[in-house]
Amino acid sequence: MTDTAIKTEALTKHYGEVKALVDLDLEVKMGEVFGFLGPNGAGKTTMIRCILDLIHPTSGRASIVGLDSHRDSVEIRNHIGYLPSDLSMYPNLTGKDTLTYYANLRGGVDWDYVDELASRLAADLSPKVGDLSSGNRQKVGLIQAFMSKPNVVIMDEPSTGLDPLVQREFQAMVREVAAEGRCIFLSSHTLSEVQRVADRVGIIRNGHLAAVESVDELRSKGIRRVEIQFTTPVDASIFEGVPGVRDVEVADHHAVMSFDGHMDALLKAATSTYQLVDVNTQEADLEEVFLEYYRTGRPDDAERTATV
Amino acid sequence: MLANVFTKSIRDRWITAGIGAVAVAVFFWFGAAVYRDVDTSFYYEFPRVWLELVGLPENGGVAGIAFGAIFNLIGAFVLTGIAIGIGASSIAGEESNGTFGLLLGNPVSRRGVLISKAASLVFIIGSMTLLLWASGYVVPRLVNINMGGIHVEALILALFLNALAHGFIAMSIGAWTGSRNAASSATVGLMVVGYLAAGLLPLVGSIEWLARFFPWWYYSGSSPVSSGVDTLHTIVLVLVSMVAFAIAYIGVARRDLKEKSTAVTLLDRLRANPKTQKMIERIAGSARVSRISIKTTSEHQGLLTITGSIMFYMGILIPAFYNFIPDDFINVISQFPDAIIAMIGGVDMSTASGFITGEIFSLVGPIALISLMVVMGSRALAGEEERHTIGLLMANPITRSHVIREKIVAMLVYGVLFGIITFLGTWLGVLISGNDDVSATGIFSVSVMLVLLGWVFGAIALAVGAAKGRSRSASLVATGVAVASFFVFSFFPLSASFESWTVVSPFEQYLGSDPLLNGIAWADAGVLATIALFFFAVSIPLFNRRDLTG
Repeated sequence: MTDTAIKTEALTKHYGEVKALVDLDLEVKMGEVFGFLGPNGAGKTTMIRCILDLIHPTSGRASIVGLDSHRDSVEIRNHIGYLPSDLSMYPNLTGKDTLTYYANLRGGVDWDYVDELASRLAADLSPKVGDLSSGNRQKVGLIQAFMSKPNVVIMDEPSTGLDPLVQREFQAMVREVAAEGRCIFLSSHTLSEVQRVADRVGIIRNGHLAAVESVDELRSKGIRRVEIQFTTPVDASIFEGVPGVRDVEVADHHAVMSFDGHMDALLKAATSTYQLVDVNTQEADLEEVFLEYYRTGRPDDAERTATV
Repeated sequence: MLANVFTKSIRDRWITAGIGAVAVAVFFWFGAAVYRDVDTSFYYEFPRVWLELVGLPENGGVAGIAFGAIFNLIGAFVLTGIAIGIGASSIAGEESNGTFGLLLGNPVSRRGVLISKAASLVFIIGSMTLLLWASGYVVPRLVNINMGGIHVEALILALFLNALAHGFIAMSIGAWTGSRNAASSATVGLMVVGYLAAGLLPLVGSIEWLARFFPWWYYSGSSPVSSGVDTLHTIVLVLVSMVAFAIAYIGVARRDLKEKSTAVTLLDRLRANPKTQKMIERIAGSARVSRISIKTTSEHQGLLTITGSIMFYMGILIPAFYNFIPDDFINVISQFPDAIIAMIGGVDMSTASGFITGEIFSLVGPIALISLMVVMGSRALAGEEERHTIGLLMANPITRSHVIREKIVAMLVYGVLFGIITFLGTWLGVLISGNDDVSATGIFSVSVMLVLLGWVFGAIALAVGAAKGRSRSASLVATGVAVASFFVFSFFPLSASFESWTVVSPFEQYLGSDPLLNGIAWADAGVLATIALFFFAVSIPLFNRRDLTG
């Protein structure tokens, strides 16, 4: 089998005038946990629905385990497990019935493994799905996605409603799948959902892939948060044109900004007109890095396609 | 009253209500146009008792027949059906959707919500009634027919109050049980049984009083279109509404509200019981999810049980009922001219076979089976999309065509089961009542034709659902085509200029050759099968090429 789990080439999807996906190029390897991040409405679910052949791309193509997403869609589904966002199942079936239904459509599964998954996630499969809380329903969905031991597990916002203990168990399951050389593709709008388990993350914004980077690389980006106190009220325009300065917020004597350039240039600009009282700088956390991508996309910094 | 709840409830329903009222008005227009071409001299020769029975005014002429025929039956069912829908959804619908808790998170009381919902019910049904009332004045002028002698206002008032009574009954059942399904199915049952009782029981004088237990009797029993407003009946209908509302008012505040949850069925109880668990598990547990077609049939077994039971009991009762009809009455019916026979489904009601066709197979049977098939067809694909279950389903190694084929198999199986139940019920009824002129072959033939007719409309619903992904559009289109087909079959034969178009109606293929008497007309059966096959087949490319929603 190919070592490429998911590959998209110039994948594009338009809904009339709305460009939900634009020339998306992405490659995810087997044995990898890939986090697919983006704000609400960025195109994450559209991308997943395209590669699952639920919707047809306007142009471009996608493949999973080397098989064409449209032509070989049925064969592909033998290799994947899927957990949609806003999981909906048949309310009148019990958890066990639900899993049996999908297992039958797959030609059977290993029920000992299903029992093991249920026990690890502390899932009760006897009540009707419609009577379960959203977290317990999500557990049934997770078992369903893992139970056939698929080569590629695609999950859209998988941690929704799970308590922290179950989340930890879920993360362990994800790492085990990757350790076995299989692939996990996690879509989410929050970094915290994927940062503990993902090897790499792709960031999508307005249908464009803004960046694909390893989590470690992102940590090393070193975006800092700088606060400067002046003796007199200050005008934000003095920071215009200083390399590395973004999102300047000025309030009276006080200026706050994100900064990843040379401090020398920043201080020169700050002291050209005004007198400083204090400068405070701190390294931004990873969440801040992501929010920055969400806000601006930073296409200049992003690698448009990435294969590590 | 809560203005927001009131206006939102209206906004949720006004399209359905509008379409319903306009459709009835349009049918009236067509009906009036058809009747204008009919020689109505025969009409004045009918005995007064018969005219009253079928709800036609004594001196109404063309307009009277059209008005009575369309408004009395189609208008009453549409208006009452919509009222039941609104009533059942008022409290129970909010609970089933899980939205009642959110609503009550605001500073509003349960009773405040109930009052607002009740006001919206009255407003919507009132608006529909006004539209029908207006059409009763506009249409006769458009097609230039005389409405003299017809009590338009009386019929409209009776329609309005009858619909409201049923709507409030549904509301009170919903307020006490929190189950929309229980509220709507119980009240629809009351409506259908009431309609049958009000129509049939007076044929047998001694048990006529039984009909008075049903609200429908107080709507149609006094023939308001010919006799004008009946004060007593009007008061009874108003009282029914008021009492039902009062019961709802008490119930809604006393009860623990349900969270969004599923109904506990008898099967669930048996499954939970250790004694029966093993056996039930075998037949209803893993077995019912063994494949898509079987799961689909299990989802609709309640509807099959209801529609099948109606047909089974009708099949047993109607042949026996024929024996109770006084000979005088049969003599009167046998004198009917062709035109009026066409209006009551093209059958000669003076014979046992005609009576059985008229009472079981011309209206009740098609309504029951088409409802079943349209529900199955419209939800088959569009329902999976609307419930957002299609994504998970299609993540399994199956093609979209496979899903459609499985859904079609479920529809075919249920059509056949419905046909078998209908055949057995009617055959048993004929055997018990000893009506020798109806043969088992005839019952089998008409049952087969009925099943083919059901598949036609089920297939249309499936195709529209496959193309659009919306079950509501699918069922509206299929039901609309079915009602229009029935209309063409029933009324076009009355007019020389429209008669040749009757052939376009699937009902003509179904009943035109009188299969109960003459056996299966293979050409007609072929046409129905071909139409059904066409729409089943066309669903596959329509579904395959589309972006799925949900």
